Amino acid sequence: MGIEEKDKVEDRDKTEKKEKSAKKGNRAVQSVLGFIQHICLAVMIIAVCVVIGGTTIRVEHYRGISAYNLYAMRDHNIVYEDSAMFNTLFGYALSDIVRHGVVSSQLETNGQFNGKKVIDVTAYNYRSGGLPEQYVTAEYYLEDLLKWSNYGFEWDSEQMTPSQARSFLADTTRVIMIDPNSQYYNTSDASYLKSEIETYTFVSDVSGNMLWTDVNDYDGFVEEYYDGSAQAVTAKDSEYTEEIRTYNFLVNRYKTVDKKNLEEYVSDWDLYYDLCHNVQNAAKGLAYNYNEYLECGEYYSTANSNVRYMIVKTVGDNVQIYTNLTDEPDYYLSLAKSMISGEISGGIVGHESDKYIYYSPADMVYRSNTSITENTVRQVFQSYDYAYPETVRIWLSVDGMYPVNDAFQQGYHRFYEYVPYLWPGVATAAAAGILYLMIWIYLICVTGKDADEEGKPYIRLSVFDEIPTEAALLIACGVMILAFGALLIVSEFTNINPTDIVSVADEVFHYRGSMIIAAAIIFASDFLAMFFFYSLIRRIRSKTLWKNSYLRRAGSRVIRFGWKVYDNGDIVIRTWLPYAAFLLFNIVMLIWAFISDGLGSILTLLFLAAVDILVGNLLYRNAKEQRGIVKGIETIAGGQLEYQVDTENLHGDNLTLARSVNSIGNGIKEAVEISMKDERMKADLITNVSHDIKTPLTSIINYVDLIKREQVENEKIRSYIGVLDEKSQRLKQLTDDLVEASKISSGNISLQFEKINLTELMNQTLGEFSEKFEQKNLTTVMNINAQNAVIEADSRRIWRVMENLFNNVYKYAMEGTRVYVTINTLAQGAARNQEMIEVSVKNISAMPLNCAPDELTERFIRGDESRTTEGSGLGLSIARDLTQAQHGTFEIRLDGDLFKVILTFPLAEK
Amino acid sequence: MANILVCDDDREIVDAIEIYLLQEGYTIFKAYDGEQAIRILKEQQIHLLLIDIMMPRLDGIHATLKIREYSSIPIIILSAKSEDNDKILGLNIGADDYVTKPFNPLELVARVKSNLRRYTTLGNLNTDNNALFQVGGLCIDDDTKEVTVDGEAVKLTPIEYNILLLLVKNCGRVFSIDQIYESIWNEEAIGADNTVAVHIRHIREKIEINPKEPRYLKVVWGVGYKIEKQ
Repeated sequence: MGIEEKDKVEDRDKTEKKEKSAKKGNRAVQSVLGFIQHICLAVMIIAVCVVIGGTTIRVEHYRGISAYNLYAMRDHNIVYEDSAMFNTLFGYALSDIVRHGVVSSQLETNGQFNGKKVIDVTAYNYRSGGLPEQYVTAEYYLEDLLKWSNYGFEWDSEQMTPSQARSFLADTTRVIMIDPNSQYYNTSDASYLKSEIETYTFVSDVSGNMLWTDVNDYDGFVEEYYDGSAQAVTAKDSEYTEEIRTYNFLVNRYKTVDKKNLEEYVSDWDLYYDLCHNVQNAAKGLAYNYNEYLECGEYYSTANSNVRYMIVKTVGDNVQIYTNLTDEPDYYLSLAKSMISGEISGGIVGHESDKYIYYSPADMVYRSNTSITENTVRQVFQSYDYAYPETVRIWLSVDGMYPVNDAFQQGYHRFYEYVPYLWPGVATAAAAGILYLMIWIYLICVTGKDADEEGKPYIRLSVFDEIPTEAALLIACGVMILAFGALLIVSEFTNINPTDIVSVADEVFHYRGSMIIAAAIIFASDFLAMFFFYSLIRRIRSKTLWKNSYLRRAGSRVIRFGWKVYDNGDIVIRTWLPYAAFLLFNIVMLIWAFISDGLGSILTLLFLAAVDILVGNLLYRNAKEQRGIVKGIETIAGGQLEYQVDTENLHGDNLTLARSVNSIGNGIKEAVEISMKDERMKADLITNVSHDIKTPLTSIINYVDLIKREQVENEKIRSYIGVLDEKSQRLKQLTDDLVEASKISSGNISLQFEKINLTELMNQTLGEFSEKFEQKNLTTVMNINAQNAVIEADSRRIWRVMENLFNNVYKYAMEGTRVYVTINTLAQGAARNQEMIEVSVKNISAMPLNCAPDELTERFIRGDESRTTEGSGLGLSIARDLTQAQHGTFEIRLDGDLFKVILTFPLAEK
Repeated sequence: MANILVCDDDREIVDAIEIYLLQEGYTIFKAYDGEQAIRILKEQQIHLLLIDIMMPRLDGIHATLKIREYSSIPIIILSAKSEDNDKILGLNIGADDYVTKPFNPLELVARVKSNLRRYTTLGNLNTDNNALFQVGGLCIDDDTKEVTVDGEAVKLTPIEYNILLLLVKNCGRVFSIDQIYESIWNEEAIGADNTVAVHIRHIREKIEINPKEPRYLKVVWGVGYKIEKQ
């Protein structure tokens, strides 16, 4: 090995090493990229969490936790007070306070909770509207109702006769009528308000006649009882039967303001139950409101909220103020006065940055420096229109300095802390996402692609990729379920709902530990997901996804079994079984289509049609393939032995068939070639041998002739010489015939076809043989029934045929007989639409013919077994072979001593 | 008389031929291969060459080719090769005649005579006689009604003579039996008659050396007869 070669080898080694290291490098790069990819996803999701978490503010409301969104994308360029969140908070505050005002009006007197406040339970129940002009009611102290509501109302029941029942109730019913002429009366609404503020009380009898009226002041009712309603009661009595019934009634504990029970207000059980119902409902509603009143009051107290509000209601000269101001009453009275006079601009606290709403529907005034519209405020008021007269005025403001830690302050801090980082956060998420996608696509493109040491590309599969597909799927699912379960456990411990993105985001945003845990979880899940995903890609790429699956293995086993059954089955199974399956499938699908409705039916029919078309196509393909094979067989049978059926695109049995046909064709072709070769070799051999025979024969003939010329006196010798001469001539003839016969049978002759008139030929032949026939006293009878007996033949060969035929006649015909020569036109071969010419030569054999006609044309067969006559025994064989070579047929018929040769040739086309 | 060179590797054949030709009065030279033949040809005045094809050293075909480079003497190939291709090849490379073995000695002698005649005496025959028709060695003098083949007179019957004259006059044209019949007998041919064919065979036997391989009067099987143009 030369130095240069060594260098080359070393170089090659180096490059190989380089390639190897490059490949290893490639793998390392892929691993690193995968690592980066998982990090990217973690970064992206954390960033998204931060964006979402940062824009969400959770405020503990008295009704629960509420989340407010910064709408960061919209708000990033404005001040906090213009943000959607601020306005949402402000709106909630407005709504809360309006409702608080309503509740306060039910529970307060002069701005203070009043437990001794008297409640008209029926009016309270109908406070939203629908209070009839005349109604039955009872009044209770507020504190009593709240107390009873806490413990629930207790009922009692008793069996009562009608009279007992009647006596259980009062004799009269107290009815309250609202004076339609009252200045407080307004038909559509505010009846509850009026009942609260000023009430007319009537006492009426059962028939509803008004007995007495009085204008009551605010604090209570003036009651009057109607006595002596005996008439009415008697009238009622008649309606009662004497039957004893069970009556439910409230326990004798719930006293009205007048220390009375409810049964003492009504004289009718229906009214009694209505009243009971009203009492219970009022108690329940008030209890609920009381609860809300306390919480809301706490929430919007000056200590806990930056909100300040004033609601001023004026009914006549009566002014009611609801506020959370804790200042001196004088102060807010003055504020109320300025509100009534409409001199309001700015917040209640008086800071420059205060946000406020002032709304006075009566004066049609709405002032605000927020984005909340008058319409919104009006709608808020409309839902409580029973509690607010049109003369209400509201002034709501938020302290612009946010001195108290409430939702407004938190929002303020978050807004300014967070908004500057909003866009970087979004950008980070987007960048990480894009990078993730890019790495993902790249890795999808390259994963598994590798080259072996010769640089040939192949798909490198990991150990996991080699696991059968279903097992891998199972593992992947198992791992995913485990991971999900772990996540659920984590969320259980941390009280975070993983499906609630906002809460997760909030958690991640607020706690570093959570963020790290979340990042780790995301990294791990992505690692697992991508591990399985890239494995899937590699499986697809190396085409092992299907190949390496249990399903395929099982499927191929089933298919193989099916084929085995099919292959081993008889013809019935092979034809009827698939046909029956096909029919069954059709029937089932048709029934299914009938059963299912609408789209399902159409889809089923479409599917059925598709399958049927597929089957039809398969049948067509099969038939087409068979047609090709049949054509191939025909072609081969027609002599084109080198023809090959195209086995490409063939399937199943057809493929086997086509291959068999091809191999048969090849076999025949080879056999024919071998036999042709053999024949040719034989012909060559005969030719050569005959050459070698001819040379000594020449000498024999010549010297026999020379002896003949000598004047031999001895008769014996002369006769011997005669025999020698004759036999040497026959030997010559034999060798010639032998060569000719072998050449013809080996196909080693070339024919020159021309138009031959058979009649002419026959005349010429007979002319040639006329003397020979005369010698034997043979008479020729020509019988020509063909007008124009022209055929295509090689003139010399056809002469040879005739010569052999007539030589045969000359040699074997009985002396003195007639030879019949007939030429006929035959319609035979009409299938090919070609007329035939028949030539027959008949003669009477001199010897009895004791062999089959076919044998006569065999080589070296002669009619006389003794072979004493002249001739080689090849004449008829040569004639037959030559006739066939010229597209003719050659037939010998024997009938006793009648020897008949029939030649047919196709008539030449004109 | 003429000098004839007989060349064959089979000495017996050469001797036999010598006997026949000596009887005719020719001088014979003998050679047993092609080279020998060429050498003798150079040394002696040879008028005709009889040569075999398959011989040691130099075969008949190559010898003929060489001889034809400087000599125009008649060459008759004498061979056991009887295929058409062999005959065509032999005649094409310069041989004047082709006789297959085993041959009829008399035919061979006739052919030798014929070729010598063509070479020595008839080669430059020129005549002004209008009634003289000549095809190769075949001569018909219509004035004297004499027919000669290679100078030898042939006796023909009047019908035979008329048929031959018809064919010679229209040398190369093929006459069917019917045509010949109509022009000789001057009546319509009824067909199915082999009279003409029989006459033709008789003519052939008279004017041809080997009637089975006619030189002049050729049979066109299935068509008719003709005199080949020479």
